[in-house]
Amino acid sequence: MSDPLLAHLKRLIVDTLKLEDITPEQLADDEPLMGSGLNLDSIDALELVVRIEKEFGLKISNSEESRQALSDLGSLAAFVRQRADPARIPAH
Amino acid sequence: MTPAPVARITACDCLTAFGDAPATHQALLEGRIALEPTPVLGSRGGDAVPLALLPDRVLDEDLPPRWLDFAERLLSKLPGDGWGSPRRPVIVTSSNFGVGSLYAYRLNGDARNLAYGTPFASVEQLAKRLDWGPNTITFSHACVTAHLGLLHASRLVDARLAEKVLVLSFDLLSPFVTGGFHALKILNGMMPAPYEARDVGSIGLGDGLAFAVVEPASAAGEFSLLAQAVYNEMHHFTANRADGAGFAACIREITSAAAGRRVWLKGHGTGTLEAGKLEAGELAAAFPESPLVSWKGSLGHTLGSCGLVELALTLCALRNGRAPGTPGSRTPTFTSNIMLEPFSVSNFDAAVCTSNAFGGAHAALLVGAA
Amino acid sequence: MSSSRTITRISTRDAAEEEPSVTRERLKDRFPRGSTRRMTQLGLLVGDVLMDMDPGPDDAIIYISRYAETRALEQYLESFPTASPTLFQTSIHPSAVQQVMIGRQLPVREFLPITGNEQLVAQGLTAALVSPASRVLLCGGEERGTWLLEQGVASDRNFAFACALSRDPDGALGRVTMGNEVCPPEVPLGLEEFFRRLTDREPFTLVAPSAQRISWTWE
Repeated sequence: MSDPLLAHLKRLIVDTLKLEDITPEQLADDEPLMGSGLNLDSIDALELVVRIEKEFGLKISNSEESRQALSDLGSLAAFVRQRADPARIPAH
Repeated sequence: MTPAPVARITACDCLTAFGDAPATHQALLEGRIALEPTPVLGSRGGDAVPLALLPDRVLDEDLPPRWLDFAERLLSKLPGDGWGSPRRPVIVTSSNFGVGSLYAYRLNGDARNLAYGTPFASVEQLAKRLDWGPNTITFSHACVTAHLGLLHASRLVDARLAEKVLVLSFDLLSPFVTGGFHALKILNGMMPAPYEARDVGSIGLGDGLAFAVVEPASAAGEFSLLAQAVYNEMHHFTANRADGAGFAACIREITSAAAGRRVWLKGHGTGTLEAGKLEAGELAAAFPESPLVSWKGSLGHTLGSCGLVELALTLCALRNGRAPGTPGSRTPTFTSNIMLEPFSVSNFDAAVCTSNAFGGAHAALLVGAA
Repeated sequence: MSSSRTITRISTRDAAEEEPSVTRERLKDRFPRGSTRRMTQLGLLVGDVLMDMDPGPDDAIIYISRYAETRALEQYLESFPTASPTLFQTSIHPSAVQQVMIGRQLPVREFLPITGNEQLVAQGLTAALVSPASRVLLCGGEERGTWLLEQGVASDRNFAFACALSRDPDGALGRVTMGNEVCPPEVPLGLEEFFRRLTDREPFTLVAPSAQRISWTWE
């Protein structure tokens, strides 16, 4: 059964970063986010951070913390679960 | 690459949160920190971040914008007249110009702000206030822009297209800029500590204005621009090549000009970790006997004006015989040549000043007594 | 002082009032796959013409634009209070040239981004003529704005140009020369008119603010 948070994050990534030729469903649950086949870089990471902060009501303090949180999709989901306002985490 | 022509600096001053160049130099010698926690979005609040604003200034731009008054105050000390005439061009350099007024327009809808918002409009307002002629040229290349102004000025006097050139640099903060750097997560709640080997990087931002008058090498004057160099990595907007090749490519031209001279180094050193480590490493490799300092831990990064603000302070140090250390930073540092405390420069012949910018842009100059 | 360069390449694009999405779709195959998603319209247009010059590491690039990244500026301002880092980055002059050069990982020794109004073309040409680089790539353009255009502080059309100006006399399409004589001021040549002269291969002269005449001729 798919994780609704992961599914939501996949849609958020494709939408926020305007990724071409890729659908959310094509992203693996443990998809590396930086420098991988997605070819995301640090600016993409920060754009994601801004969107995630706004969407989930959490705070990432500095660029070092954002780098850790965004190493892969699984890490990002874990970070959100740990820091987000629980009411904002999708249940389905 | 053909070396940049040697030119004379016949006047130079700056304005920072501490005041003019001599006052700022003295404050840095005392280790004072101009940066203070300030809401990142000004009137809209937000996280507290380290900013150094000019006295009696708030982050949100006034109408008319305050940089006009500050530029007028700074240039009241400028010798000579006829600026903007065919033989006395003015080069204006900035990163943000009047963009604070565009932000103000977006916030409050007052269309009068638009008269100051675009770079060329802001320069036209300066020309009107300061009674310049039409011979102005405007460079806009983020944090190396002041160096480009000095380089072009040197070429103009060398080509006899000008008898003297006024280079003016200004960058006053606004929520447009602070919001952007905050979104990049490098302007955060921590005070900057340039070249300090710590876990988290951070920068501060500061207001800055400065000017220099550049004349041919034959002119009478206290200091000379002995060498200038630029290089553009075009590797990434916010990161340098990990091997430091960009820093090395720029500084190479300066090392050959500095041969036989004993030099100290005024680095870029904003407080970011990766770039700071690369920069310190490459400068130490190129100038193994030279002490390195950065003043951005106190003044903040004055963005497009940093090259000229910090040149003015370097000249104070050369004149005074004493260079400020690196306020805000402690051991351990990335390299062993970082000077944390003020030191005597009376046994040095010259100083190397460097600046770096987004896009992997690098600039450096060698300055010494004429 | 008399200075001269040979015009060895020219490329111009007139995208009139074309929407950014149309420009992106039209030009996306000219850029590395996946890179155009973050590029501005001006970046796409300037990148397109600049690549026709085959920029090399020893070239000097001079980039002239009055308004630069207008749409990124508009959208960045709209993103507050949650400022977008991408739009902040791309709104900063001279991002149009950096977008394509970084996309292709092409370092360049010297890069002089110049802005201005009436004297912009004259100052750009002056900078090209005093540069010591063997080859100068003079490029520039504008992108059409939306709400900034409504307020009269943006360009109303999209266009871009690039020309290679060499110290080598071979392969001349034309020549740009600065004379020695002091001339009285004349009506300046604006950026759009410069673009038109390049596109239509029309000669022109102008008096630089330093009072020298600059002549642009075609072979």
